[in-house]
Amino acid sequence: MAGFFVQWIWVVPLLPLLGGIVAALGATRFRFNAAIPVAIGIAAAFLFSLGAWASSGPENTIVVSKWLAAGSFQVPIELRVDGLSTLMLSMVTFVSTLVVIFASGYMAGDPSYPRFFAFIGLFVFSMTGLVLSNNFLLTYAFWEGVGVCSYLLIGFWYAKNSAADAAMKAFLVNRLGDIGFAIAIFWLWTIVPNHDLSYTNVLAEGTLANLPDSARVGIPLLLFWAATAKSAQLPLYVWLPDAMEGPTPVSALIHAATMVTAGVYLIARSTALIALAPGVQLLICVVGCATALLAAAIAVTQNDLKRVMAYSTVSQLGYMFMALGAGVGGVAQLAVVAAIFHLFTHAFFKALLFLASGSVMHSMGDVIDMRRFGGLRHRLPYTCWTFAVGGLALAGIFPMAGFFSKDEILLALAAAPEAAHAMDLTWGWVYGLIYWVALLTAFMTAFYTGRAFFMTFWGPEKLPSPDDPEAPEVDAHAAHGDDASHGHHHIGEESAPIMTWPLMILAGCAVVVGFLFGSTGWLEHHLQGMYGFEGLGHAPHAFGWGTPILGMVAGLAGIGLAYLLYGEPSPAPARLAATFRPLYVASLNKFYVDEIYQWTVMKVLWVSAAVLRFLDISFVERTIVGIATAPRAIGRNALAVYQNGLIQFYAAATAASVAILLLILLFS
Amino acid sequence: MTDLLTIDYLRDYLLVGAALFALGMLGFLSRRNLIVMFLSAEMMLQGTALSLIALSRYHGNWTGQIFTIIILTVAACEAAIALALIMILYDRRASLDITLWRELREEAAPDLVPIEVEAAEAEPVEPIEGPETYPQLTPAGVEPEHPIQPWTERRR
Amino acid sequence: MTTGSLLPTLIILLGAIGVYLLLPHRLGRAKPRSVHVAGATLTALGFLGFLFSIMAPPTTANPDGHYYIAAAFFYAFSAFALGSAVMTIVSRNPIHSALWFAAVVLSSAGLFLLAGAQFLAAGTVIVYAGAIIVMFLFVIMLAQMEGRAIYDRSARSPGTAVFTCFLILWSLVYCLGSLASRPEGVDEDPALFNQKLTPGRELAEHYRLDGDHSVKIALDRVFRTTSADRDAEGLAKPDVAGLGESLYTDHLVTVELAGSLLFAALIAAIVIANPKRSLRSGEPEPTPSDA
Repeated sequence: MAGFFVQWIWVVPLLPLLGGIVAALGATRFRFNAAIPVAIGIAAAFLFSLGAWASSGPENTIVVSKWLAAGSFQVPIELRVDGLSTLMLSMVTFVSTLVVIFASGYMAGDPSYPRFFAFIGLFVFSMTGLVLSNNFLLTYAFWEGVGVCSYLLIGFWYAKNSAADAAMKAFLVNRLGDIGFAIAIFWLWTIVPNHDLSYTNVLAEGTLANLPDSARVGIPLLLFWAATAKSAQLPLYVWLPDAMEGPTPVSALIHAATMVTAGVYLIARSTALIALAPGVQLLICVVGCATALLAAAIAVTQNDLKRVMAYSTVSQLGYMFMALGAGVGGVAQLAVVAAIFHLFTHAFFKALLFLASGSVMHSMGDVIDMRRFGGLRHRLPYTCWTFAVGGLALAGIFPMAGFFSKDEILLALAAAPEAAHAMDLTWGWVYGLIYWVALLTAFMTAFYTGRAFFMTFWGPEKLPSPDDPEAPEVDAHAAHGDDASHGHHHIGEESAPIMTWPLMILAGCAVVVGFLFGSTGWLEHHLQGMYGFEGLGHAPHAFGWGTPILGMVAGLAGIGLAYLLYGEPSPAPARLAATFRPLYVASLNKFYVDEIYQWTVMKVLWVSAAVLRFLDISFVERTIVGIATAPRAIGRNALAVYQNGLIQFYAAATAASVAILLLILLFS
Repeated sequence: MTDLLTIDYLRDYLLVGAALFALGMLGFLSRRNLIVMFLSAEMMLQGTALSLIALSRYHGNWTGQIFTIIILTVAACEAAIALALIMILYDRRASLDITLWRELREEAAPDLVPIEVEAAEAEPVEPIEGPETYPQLTPAGVEPEHPIQPWTERRR
Repeated sequence: MTTGSLLPTLIILLGAIGVYLLLPHRLGRAKPRSVHVAGATLTALGFLGFLFSIMAPPTTANPDGHYYIAAAFFYAFSAFALGSAVMTIVSRNPIHSALWFAAVVLSSAGLFLLAGAQFLAAGTVIVYAGAIIVMFLFVIMLAQMEGRAIYDRSARSPGTAVFTCFLILWSLVYCLGSLASRPEGVDEDPALFNQKLTPGRELAEHYRLDGDHSVKIALDRVFRTTSADRDAEGLAKPDVAGLGESLYTDHLVTVELAGSLLFAALIAAIVIANPKRSLRSGEPEPTPSDA
């Protein structure tokens, strides 16, 4: 039985793809039932992945077919069914199923309904392929695949300029990271024995021991660069907030649970490789920490509910990278477990939060500015309490899932200085500093989560109206258009059951997952089945009560402060903002990161593009056109003269040629 | 008894055949009348037939002569069809000049010598007198309707 | 070359110049009488040189006198053939060209006779001079312009044409002129066996004794009893009988093909020359349009 799931694992990516293709090809027939084939495909993939979970092992790889074969360059399509792959696979398919069910209700009435679900099917295919692949090059292919699907889905409403621009930005920033990945693959290919890029070969102990010094630092750096783009870390996180232009289910699926975790997955998978360069691990940790802090600082002032959640995602991804970066020496196993655990739980509660935001947006007639509505807990009870559960999980309150995963990360950070000292590294104290910054960030996380919850659901009830001071200048026509697209739904009503049931399921998961997987050690045990896990350093860690308690305190303090400021409408936040006005304005404007990029990177690129364009037009094009005119001139002026249509001329030419040939044969 | 056609005679026959061939080719390349061109082509065939006959006799079998019979056949068929086609071409342009048929060419190619210039530069030729110079008899009686077209209004 | 390569080159050059002078002018101008005379003289000189220095008389001794008669007839027929050929291509009147061509055919029929192909001699006269040339004359009658047309009076680039054709003739003469019989007294060298134009019968004899398998099979196929011009006792077969025997046994398929070809050409000629559509039943007769 175990062998069956491993042999047929390639069915798992294909089922969602098939669902997507059916939805695309039968678009006119299915119309508003196009979600059904995709949902069935992904659900079937989920059930299969449960079987794969049961039969995972560190050596389970299968070769599905040949892909690239050119002499010594052999890249077959090989898939791997080990602990990490099956964990991610089950998580991805489960969350995708729930998101598809939610989206079938959310996107009802949209004229491009089938296209949406076709793209979702394509995306799930790419993501499952990414986590299942056993070869770096195949992973790269699927990496690009999820990038493309992200572009397609963010720019789903392509007629809106901001959405099209956001999609382009996401794709191009991801492209910058992909360059790093590509160079890393090329480099690996040159130094790896047999030029075999599969994980079993590259991450084997023998290979790693023989890597040259430059590669030990260079390749992890490049892989981290790629992960920076895909998982939205400094400095390439700028695409994620703008990606909220896409439909909310897209944000929930791609930018919370699945695609952005691909970078974390890659680093986790390559831990054995990265552990060779403790300096790079420190860099990862520092970048993760800075990102988490920066994103949390921006999130505390944002007024757009989805933007808050987006920055929250960036911040939580920073946590995961902090964990991975802390994997020096004996902490390696714990670090990987912590990062993956947090990835796992984050998928559930962040997806839940995004979907709940979507439900709110749906009910408020596509208004997402938190200042325009309030006190919705009576109107939207399901949404409100599921949001609360998700918020508690995000803040890290016992016994929610976030508590356990964040706790593990802090534990890893706490154990890192000792391990660094054991390896004779001088920078162990940085980990200690990062530990305290992480706690501060946890406090800020809880604060902005509570702020979002209380602004939306607490206080006096208020529905959006066109008289709000924050309402954009909009004509009645557009508002009516939005209403019509949502069918028979009226403003202020709770969403349909098809949308609330996934929320409830996810909320249930957010509650139990931490306990079920973390405390029982099930996750750690499962990850033992990951390739190369035993090779990572592990040292016994003393379990202290200090870290969990500190984490709880930070979380409760944050929520308490938020309740104080936002539980009842009060002038306190405005006064606080006025007091710290420069900081407030900077945070509201995202610390001007986009503007800095515009004036440094973009200007340079535009200037160079103009120069190259000039060179192209005046030199390259002229040369080529000049070369092209030569045969024409020869033909028209020199050779066409001899095509004068006179038969006798042609016959004379033939006779002359025969004479010359004869003479050559005679005298040679 | 030894064959009478020694290699010397063979050589002579082959040379005559070559000369006929060359002269035929010359006529084909230089004359402008379609009929004379075709006659020259037939002369080329005669030259090759002569060579074949001589070689057949030299080698001592009939193959060359049979080949010549077939050449004869082919020449006859070719002459029939070619003359039919010449008739059609004459119907189109009322002339047997091959210079008139030049449509399959590049537009950039200049005319070697335009036909009007040719006609202008050529020496005038004494025209053949037609029936208008024949002595006329006094018509007797009423001239009947002539059912046949006069020779001056021939089919063009 | 029997006398070195300079003399034949000069002779051919003379002939070339002569023919060039005789050809019509490029633009149709009339050539003065003197030019015609000069051209004729040069051409005649060229031909005579061709006949008597390039086509050298045979060197073997002649036991009986009829070799010389045969040689005389040969030269007469050759001269007449070449002269008529030149007149064909330089005549300004197409009727004259056709008639001179008839003369060419007759003289080449005479040459066929001398080579022993009596059937072909007769056949050539009947088919060519009898049928084809008469057909030419009919077409000339149907398709003539009044007076002398410009295209009869002028030639297209006579200089280039003369040069090209006499270049070909020169190279052919260079090739063929080196064929000569082996002088007496020279040993037969097996290495030289295949370099001269060896008669087929001798080749067959040689390989029958040698036993070279593939060549032997090929030669045996060519030199079947029906194909040889001598019968089993070594006597020469009568021309028509032998030709007929070979034609209808070895080359039967060829005969059938030739017949089909003639049939197809017949249909083609009728269809091409008569483009009027035949009436189908029920259709009204087409009214004759005014000329």
